Amino acid sequence: MSQANVDVHETLSPEQVRTISGELGEPEWLLETRLDALEALGELEMPKVIRTPGRDWTDLHGLAFEEFVDPLKGTQQKDRVTAAGAEVLDWETALTEHGDLIETEFGRTVDPERNYLTALSTALFSTGTVVYVPEGVRAEDVTIRTTTNSRSLFNYTLVVAEESASVTILERQDTGDSPGDRQYYSGIVEAIAGENARIQYGTLQQLDEDAYNFQTKVGRAGQYGQVNWIEGTIGSRLNKSTVETHLEGQGAESTIVGAFFGRGDQHFDVASRVWHEAEHTTADLVTRGVLDDQARSVYEGVQDVGSKAWDTNSYQRENTLMLSDESEADASPKLIINNHDTEASHSATVGQVDAEEMLYMTSRAIDPDTATDMLVEGFFVPVMEEIEVKEFREDLEAAITARLG
Amino acid sequence: MVAGHPAYEVTGGSVTLELDGDEFEAAEADEWELLELEPNERAALGIFLGFQYPVEIEGVTMVNFLRTALNAKLDEREELFEEEESEDEPADATNEDAAGYDTAPMEGGEEGEVGVAEFQQILQEKMELLDMDESFASRYLNVGFSGGEKKQNEVLQAAILEPEITVLDEIDSGLDIDRLQDVADGINALRDKQGAGILQITHYQRILDYVEPDHVHVMLDGEIAKSGGPELAEQLEDEGYEFVREEAHAA
Repeated sequence: MSQANVDVHETLSPEQVRTISGELGEPEWLLETRLDALEALGELEMPKVIRTPGRDWTDLHGLAFEEFVDPLKGTQQKDRVTAAGAEVLDWETALTEHGDLIETEFGRTVDPERNYLTALSTALFSTGTVVYVPEGVRAEDVTIRTTTNSRSLFNYTLVVAEESASVTILERQDTGDSPGDRQYYSGIVEAIAGENARIQYGTLQQLDEDAYNFQTKVGRAGQYGQVNWIEGTIGSRLNKSTVETHLEGQGAESTIVGAFFGRGDQHFDVASRVWHEAEHTTADLVTRGVLDDQARSVYEGVQDVGSKAWDTNSYQRENTLMLSDESEADASPKLIINNHDTEASHSATVGQVDAEEMLYMTSRAIDPDTATDMLVEGFFVPVMEEIEVKEFREDLEAAITARLG
Repeated sequence: MVAGHPAYEVTGGSVTLELDGDEFEAAEADEWELLELEPNERAALGIFLGFQYPVEIEGVTMVNFLRTALNAKLDEREELFEEEESEDEPADATNEDAAGYDTAPMEGGEEGEVGVAEFQQILQEKMELLDMDESFASRYLNVGFSGGEKKQNEVLQAAILEPEITVLDEIDSGLDIDRLQDVADGINALRDKQGAGILQITHYQRILDYVEPDHVHVMLDGEIAKSGGPELAEQLEDEGYEFVREEAHAA
């Protein structure tokens, strides 16, 4: 059994949850949802991790939550740049202005009781953002920067784009004054694109390398709607992040692009999943990662083609490049087809720098370190080419270049 | 092996590069044991290996690769020669390096580097010489190049790096007749204009119609079985290798 043995919930009380909810001025239904989530902790399991014989790749049970989860001391700095056309609201304001919308959507896309960590996040989140784009509005880019300043922080984000609306959200996560030797950052994002609407959500995670990061982002795309995700993972000691899209409407599309670069003893557990639930839907999953030192990565990709998903197009590629003998990677691309009218491909590779490529470059006088840097930057290019938003692409390139040193 | 392929183990012998001439005044006449040097150091000294099967490298543009290579060569040379030189050697008195490029730090690059603008010009000239379309400059290194284009690219790289010794392994395989002419023009320019020594390995006489050899050596069972001038290549084309084999066995 992978029953959570962390027992953090034994140090938590309904009173603490009431305090958080009360300070945010939340309605009764939300308090009840939080309390239900808290109560469910005793029965819920940790998120599933990839297992190979004799080994759980990501050791979530090693998290000593009780040491650093302090539910009433979540502090952070959040800078939200409101863009023309989009309403970008903090949680209290959103509850006042869009209470009904939040009541309808909250927890519908990510079940709070999906696993132990989502329930924990739901019970304890103390900061939240709602991005709302009304029908037909093509909003400018929204940028959100979250800087954590406490040992634990629980965050919630809801994005709703109504019919024919579109918005791009760039979220940057980093750590402020280092709040201690270990931190826990947890976030849930629910993104709902209506008919013909388009949501693009990019995250650049550059948390302190002592931080544990747990993120679950799930989108739903209606008829001809799009939910696209970009995941740039650079920081944290242990990162478990999941991005998913449900293609619910005819002709819906999703692109999930990921890039990670680990070093030291960083551990990245990343997953991209898509469900084709209607006709004529398209998905493209592209992730590339580089590992140096003793860094490890685990990738899971899932393309699930439902029985009603006639005329599906679904593609998945994952490549991990290891720069050291001590780094480790595991990749598991999965394709589940319940409708034969599908054009699909899936592949994953894990490998080291190609000796022939290295010789080719060094035989042209380029020293091995410079050659490696060029090969790494080149390796990420196919991912960069998928990122339309220039600002995000440049930030990610800069983060990668900085890591190359 | 001369370039330093890690898959080959040297079981005996040595490879010595002797540099002399005006260009190397700074280094005097100098001998280098290549087997003791890393591949990039060998390249900096002026060894160039044209690959028979050049690799494709995704995401690295030709122009970026070639400029990095040129600057790496200039930089590494400076280091190699500095190590060898006695300390009374004056610091760079001119802005011209050993390869003759102006390395004034006014071109946007780092000090001593060939800047972007200047490099564009060098690249354009060399590409014209090889009749390569300028669009190649922004393409990824060898990615999607035809067999012939890859070979052209090998000669282009040699033209830019201006090596002392260029080893071209089956540079003529996979080339159509027009491209063979372009590649041959490039090789001739390397030899005649840049003064590079060229070791060309081939199975065919064809390219020798365009690049006239000074010396011809026939390899048989890993050894030089026969040596001669350009007439030897013609004889081989007419009569085949049989007479060489017979002579070798008779000896």
